[in-house]
Amino acid sequence: MAVIAFSTLQSPARRVLSVKTFLPLLAPSIVLTLFFAVPMGMMIGISFQSLDGGAPTLASYSRFVKDGLVLAGLGRTVVMSGLVAVCVTVLAYPLAYYLARSTSRWRTVVLALAIAPELAGVVLRTYGWLIILDDRGFINSALMWVGVIFEPLPLSKNLFGVVVGLTHVILPFGVLSLLTSLQGISPNLERSAQILGASRLAVIRHIVLPLSVPGIISSLLVGFTMAASAYATPALLGGAGFKVMATMVYEQVLFYLDWPFAAVMANVLLILMVGVAFIGSRLESRLNQKLHL
Amino acid sequence: MNRLPAILFKISLAAILAFITLPLLVVIAASVSPTPAVTFRPSDWTLGWYAALWDSRWLDPFLLSVKLAATVSVASGVLGALGAYSVAYAKCPGHTAIMSFLLSPMAVPQIVKGVAIVLFLSSAGFFNLLGTPGLVVAHIVLTLPFVVRMAATAMFNFDKRLDRAARILGARPAQRIRYVLLPLIRSGLFSGMTFAFILSFNNIPISVFLVKPGQTTLPITVINHLEYSLDPVLAAVNVASLLFILGAIILFEKIGGFSAQFHGGSK
Amino acid sequence: MSTIDIELHSVSKKFGANRIVKNVNLAIPKGKFVSILGPSGCGKTTTLNMIAGFESPTSGEIRIRGTDQTGIPPEARKIGLVFQNYALFPHMTVAENVGFGLKMQGRSREEVAAGAKRALKSVRLEGFENRYPKELSGGQQQRVAVARAIAPSPSVLLLDEPLSNLDLKLREAMRVELKEIQQDLGMTFVYVTHDQEEAMAMSDRIIVMQGGAVAQEGAPADIYGRPRTSFVADFIGKSNILPISAVADAKTGNGSWRVLLGTAGMPIMAARMPGLVPDKARFCCIRPEAVRLADAAGALDEPANLLTGTIQKVVNLGAYLEAWLLVDGEITLKSMIRSSRLDKLAVGHRVELAIAHAAVQLLEE
Repeated sequence: MAVIAFSTLQSPARRVLSVKTFLPLLAPSIVLTLFFAVPMGMMIGISFQSLDGGAPTLASYSRFVKDGLVLAGLGRTVVMSGLVAVCVTVLAYPLAYYLARSTSRWRTVVLALAIAPELAGVVLRTYGWLIILDDRGFINSALMWVGVIFEPLPLSKNLFGVVVGLTHVILPFGVLSLLTSLQGISPNLERSAQILGASRLAVIRHIVLPLSVPGIISSLLVGFTMAASAYATPALLGGAGFKVMATMVYEQVLFYLDWPFAAVMANVLLILMVGVAFIGSRLESRLNQKLHL
Repeated sequence: MNRLPAILFKISLAAILAFITLPLLVVIAASVSPTPAVTFRPSDWTLGWYAALWDSRWLDPFLLSVKLAATVSVASGVLGALGAYSVAYAKCPGHTAIMSFLLSPMAVPQIVKGVAIVLFLSSAGFFNLLGTPGLVVAHIVLTLPFVVRMAATAMFNFDKRLDRAARILGARPAQRIRYVLLPLIRSGLFSGMTFAFILSFNNIPISVFLVKPGQTTLPITVINHLEYSLDPVLAAVNVASLLFILGAIILFEKIGGFSAQFHGGSK
Repeated sequence: MSTIDIELHSVSKKFGANRIVKNVNLAIPKGKFVSILGPSGCGKTTTLNMIAGFESPTSGEIRIRGTDQTGIPPEARKIGLVFQNYALFPHMTVAENVGFGLKMQGRSREEVAAGAKRALKSVRLEGFENRYPKELSGGQQQRVAVARAIAPSPSVLLLDEPLSNLDLKLREAMRVELKEIQQDLGMTFVYVTHDQEEAMAMSDRIIVMQGGAVAQEGAPADIYGRPRTSFVADFIGKSNILPISAVADAKTGNGSWRVLLGTAGMPIMAARMPGLVPDKARFCCIRPEAVRLADAAGALDEPANLLTGTIQKVVNLGAYLEAWLLVDGEITLKSMIRSSRLDKLAVGHRVELAIAHAAVQLLEE
């Protein structure tokens, strides 16, 4: 009896419910539409505007592909992001492997040291690197005091400084993506390989590395996309000597007030990131399939 | 022979950890050094730079950042809980697509979001919204997806049988939300709000487009100064704001108890 | 020429303040199927891990083929290991998995392939070389795991609860097969399990562990028929464990002891236990199938205790009946009786029982 009564009640009740279930969505949807979807749409629209208020035009796009300075900035962005992605992954791997396997009481300390800097914000850490890498900074004054060099080494306001700073900023995210992947590899697989005669290095080469390729890809991806869109670190450690897309967009918006061109640059940056993320995630899922994970 | 890889591994770990902690230590040392040149001689250390922080040059941006982060955190918490309720709990029709919409701002780099919002406000004639109001909405757009995701995860994990149990015991919908659902997703929601607070407080790539004289956040004030000098007072500002963040996390934890979810408290 | 493959000399293992393994001495003979049996937390897996080299003993010495293994890492011990969840490499084919050990020895491609083929043949899994582990059933994965472990021809194979992830039917079939594989290869198998039936079915010797120490060691029939402690009697098979109040040397000529059961002190004759000080015995054990009806065929072929019991409860298990009998007003005995005797077993009836002297075992603790 009760079961029958319940099931006959269900369909009208459901219809009422479905309206009710939408109501709470109203507020967040309005906020995101008004201040995210509409601005994004407008930005794409603005990129086709002509400066004299005429018909839609590709003028800003053609200016982009012809402007050597901007293209150089795009090139710097890609090179810098690629280097950061590699550095982050290489440094994060040993940390993540330790965190995935260790059971010692030091594990918590290492985890805190690896993740906690994220709370400090980008400025503090970039400032730290400025003190270390500046012409009058830590390393240069020490080396000059010892007398190894007489001119400061160019450690900041260039690719090197930015890559060091960004690697530091992004490292925790690399650790987290690799950690997820490495924790998914059963320690018994390593033990199996070991008891079959594989040395520590052979275990890493034949078992751990191949099985963590998806994690490596996601770490490279995180490294690349975060570096390509970073603003503060390139602005401070790169300065006028090392301009990337993010700092150039900022200048277009606030100093040159060339909005169509700024919109084009922002779109290019967006396409670069979405494209890299898309290729990366396709690669990752294909590999996951191939690895039968 | 066999020990060598293990030793090399430990050395590389130590080197990486040194790389991670070095800049933090340097900033702390700079904040207590008497001159712009960092000294590691404790006898010379001074707290003078911290005393210099009690100045409207630093206090005003700090207060703005705190108010901004608090507003953004609460607004994102409310909006995020509402969104997550529809999507993850009530499972409204099309909830997967709606979820992707609510999370979509995460796919767009912060600097691009910043450009989009500043161009929107400027060209749609909302110039007067630049400054604090613009910062608030832009930061909500930035943090809302994270809060939605954390709250939705908590609601996905919520055992629907508890709801049925409350229902058969006579609880009306509002009572079920008040007494059953909210207490169980509280920690997930609070961790989302804490995250929103930190994200907003430290933000640069979006804020940089929206600040205006007199309405500038702390991190932007600091980088504006940093482009010209390595004034040790900046080190003191940075260390103080780090301490503030840590204090805020402890406070949030006291109110919301979000670490319970990492100990399986909400399961 | 040593006939002992693995020796443990007073091996102990501590994790922090916890003593997981306490002063264990073992000698595992070459070519035998030896089970380490015990409930979870008894230290059997830790013992296995110490033999494999994943853990090192806190004190004591482990010798494999006569060589002290202290400081020798797992990869240099030349033993095989089959894990509970098989731990097959998901990114390698069956052939690559099975050939891995030979590849690590630096063998040529042909040798690796031939060795893998041979190992797969001995576990009756030919034709699956190019599949991936995910494409195999649980039982097939199990065979691959065994093949992988035996491919490098180790002299010893360790197995850590390898059947516990299989369903009952398959598990029973695999018991027989594992035993056959072991006999075909003449390899020493050390089999860790908590399943006493599994241990009984396959082993030449069983080592029962309890609380980190060896409780009893012997042939399966020995362990079942002559348990030394109430733990062993209870853990292996079903048993009636009864408190005894006194033991008197009866000197009846056939070597039996006279025991007083329970508080009322009902006298019963028990098997003489060599090496047991009678005063130390506090319990005795009687297997349910040893509690027989006195009129059953052969019940009185050997010296037996004759008792009268009142039937309290009968549960029909199909082939057997389980009956609870109240003897002497205070002792309840569980018995297993053939189903054909159902007519005799109405609740409340009194029946004559026979329990052979040899079936009453005194227990040390």
